[in-house]
Amino acid sequence: MADAAPDLQKITESVENLKTELEAHRYICSDQIATAVYLAYHLRKPILIEGPPGVGKTELAKTTADMFALPLIRLQCYEGLDEAKAIYEWKYGKQLLYTQVLKETLDEVLQGAKGFAESVSRLHEFGDIFFSEEFLEPRPLMKALQAEAGCILLIDEVDKSDHEFESLLLEMLSDYQLSIPEIGTLKAVNEPPLVFLTSNNTREISDALKRRCLHLYIPFPDLELEQRIIHARVPEIPPELRRQLVKFIHELRGLDLKKVPAISETIDWARTLLLLHTETLEPQLVRDTLNVILKFQEDIENVNSELTTLTSQALK
Amino acid sequence: MERTLTNFIHALRSSDVRVSTAETLDAFNAVELVGYEDRGALKRSLALVLPKTADEKETFDLCFDQFFKFTDIRGDRDGGDAEEAANESSEDAADGQDGEGGAGGDNPPTRGTADATGKRKSKSKSKGKKAQTTAPEDADPEEEDLGPGKMSKPSSELAKLLMNDSKVELSIATAQAGEAVGVRDIQVFTQKGLYTRRIMEQMGLADLNREISDLRGSRRIPQRRLGQNLRQRREWLREQVRDYVERQFLLHADADGRRLREELLRKVKLSNVEQRNFRLIQDVVFKMAKRLAALHSRRKKVFKRGQLNLPRTLRHNMSYDGAIFDLHWKSVKIDRPKVFAICDVSGSVANYARFMLMFLYSLEEVMPKVRSFAFSSDLAEVTELFERNKIEDAIAKTLRDYAGGSTDYGQAFVDFKKHCLDDVDNRTTIIILGDARNNYGDPRTDILKEMYDRCKRLIWLNPEPRNSWYVGDAEMRKYTAYSHQVEECNSLMHLERIVGNLLKTVQ
Repeated sequence: MADAAPDLQKITESVENLKTELEAHRYICSDQIATAVYLAYHLRKPILIEGPPGVGKTELAKTTADMFALPLIRLQCYEGLDEAKAIYEWKYGKQLLYTQVLKETLDEVLQGAKGFAESVSRLHEFGDIFFSEEFLEPRPLMKALQAEAGCILLIDEVDKSDHEFESLLLEMLSDYQLSIPEIGTLKAVNEPPLVFLTSNNTREISDALKRRCLHLYIPFPDLELEQRIIHARVPEIPPELRRQLVKFIHELRGLDLKKVPAISETIDWARTLLLLHTETLEPQLVRDTLNVILKFQEDIENVNSELTTLTSQALK
Repeated sequence: MERTLTNFIHALRSSDVRVSTAETLDAFNAVELVGYEDRGALKRSLALVLPKTADEKETFDLCFDQFFKFTDIRGDRDGGDAEEAANESSEDAADGQDGEGGAGGDNPPTRGTADATGKRKSKSKSKGKKAQTTAPEDADPEEEDLGPGKMSKPSSELAKLLMNDSKVELSIATAQAGEAVGVRDIQVFTQKGLYTRRIMEQMGLADLNREISDLRGSRRIPQRRLGQNLRQRREWLREQVRDYVERQFLLHADADGRRLREELLRKVKLSNVEQRNFRLIQDVVFKMAKRLAALHSRRKKVFKRGQLNLPRTLRHNMSYDGAIFDLHWKSVKIDRPKVFAICDVSGSVANYARFMLMFLYSLEEVMPKVRSFAFSSDLAEVTELFERNKIEDAIAKTLRDYAGGSTDYGQAFVDFKKHCLDDVDNRTTIIILGDARNNYGDPRTDILKEMYDRCKRLIWLNPEPRNSWYVGDAEMRKYTAYSHQVEECNSLMHLERIVGNLLKTVQ
């Protein structure tokens, strides 16, 4: 886990250092990924991460937060997400309450005021107090700007949100500031946050958003990399079994499936096999645990018919 | 240095990667950070900044490999290439020399070499990496063997350059000559030879030729030896320049040419599209469909319906002293349009049906509910076929199973009524694609009227030009009466316009 104060200077000095550091935090990655974090850190640009589900997009943000020992602020996107849930909201209950209080004490405030004009000017002394930061409920984006020591902002599954929301993000992503009509422009307090956006590609992200981000595509890892990932995540598993199971997963990815198993499934499966004290892959065992890696009955049936060949290929 | 990067971005743009000015600036920042030394790191960094989709990344990979074609910064992989060049040059050295040697005599000396040296320094870093091979050292086997030994000094600029063995300087000179003759404007592959010659001339080929022929005519052995050597090197240089032009062509012209072809394909009559262009036209269809989808996916929502959004309403009405005055609703998506496509797939119309189906199914994002029917005499639903197969396969299967047989619109309408007239409701748009040539059969306009009454819109697309609609066995006149809209439709442009309008009206 992270030291009390990681040596940021040293970590971010080169891509290699970053990579080693990520690996020390049990995130095994390719050079491409490390380069992305490196550039994002130095250029202060958000990263838009795309790729099939389960390749560690969200995990990268979490690990980076861990590595830099910064708080992670997460905004989960969904259809209908709007500025009230993402940026700020007025504490309208509190506002109403204070209005009531003011109403009751109105006599005191206006005591001695001569004429309407003076009353109004006295009321003006309250200014726009109801629309000050006191009455503002910060939501993730604003919180990220207000974080004292900087933070990692994760905007998860941005493709699930609406087009309008994407436009809302633009100001934040390019200038690290937010405009609130009643108050003005809020800028990042100290360090602007390091922003990660993830997308599963359920729809095209608009060009405007893409233009403001680095674009990182994380594909499924190759055999060797995935083995190292499993080694990092499930270190107890014997090397031979690790090799076999990763190979098997790779065979599966070559098939025409509704949903191919991702890295997270490989990890789950490795844990399952470990729990069952497996030493080598056997067709019967694979059949019993297939539901860990395949999430559709249709896929399971398809694979079942070819299970023996697949297993023997993995054993080679 | 900066020029290299902008040139690369230009090349990317011409291969359909959209790079904005802002991204160009980002690229410069990234490069400043990473530097040009490590090719891998450079590629990875630019890959993050410039291409923004998975497709673009693939294009980027290709482009990068072509553009920054330097594996040897230190000049390691000389051997193989040099030998190849030597072998090739030895074969056509003899006939090449005679023709050009004579003509070389009265050509004026080249300009540009002097100022080239000035610019050289700024570019040397990047272009230097492109340097490939040294000139072959072995003597030409077919020549008289003069053996190794003293050679006289070369006199012309290019000859000095060649004898310097400096790959870096040579490739810089090549690139500069390329710029000077505008090799980036190369359009079609037949121009490759032309540009190769122009670049060579720009580099001072004439001087070199004259020098070689002088030297070879000389009686002194060191001069003859130099002449021979220079001749080999000239052929090698020609090879290098040809390579360079080839690369430039792939980078710049290929994409432009493709765009030109695509532009033409959009306008050509679909029945005239040749088999070999099908793949290209498919790409065009997908591109157009994607653009339409992007255009229309933005207005799927209406706000004035659905559930009351209480917090938002309260908040917005605070300025009216809490009186609920300005109502806000939770947004609700409206139903997406239903489209029924009925396609005549008999011989004459099959191609149009192919592309229309392709178009409709490429629009899945904004039109998820397409049901399609194919007929020539009997009508059948092919929706499922499209769900299970890839578009191209499904279309091929449809055409195989349903095409052929004489067209019978009457029968097709009867079948349609039997199968699914009940599913047609007031949100449905029916598109019928056909030439309405019914072989003088019963047109069954009564069923078409029924469809017309039930659906929201009935659009008839006819691939024939308007003036032949009412000629011969065409029943267009009768069918027009029961269609909301009839359109001529025989090119991708028509298709795009019609589908675009469709999306506008149905939403």
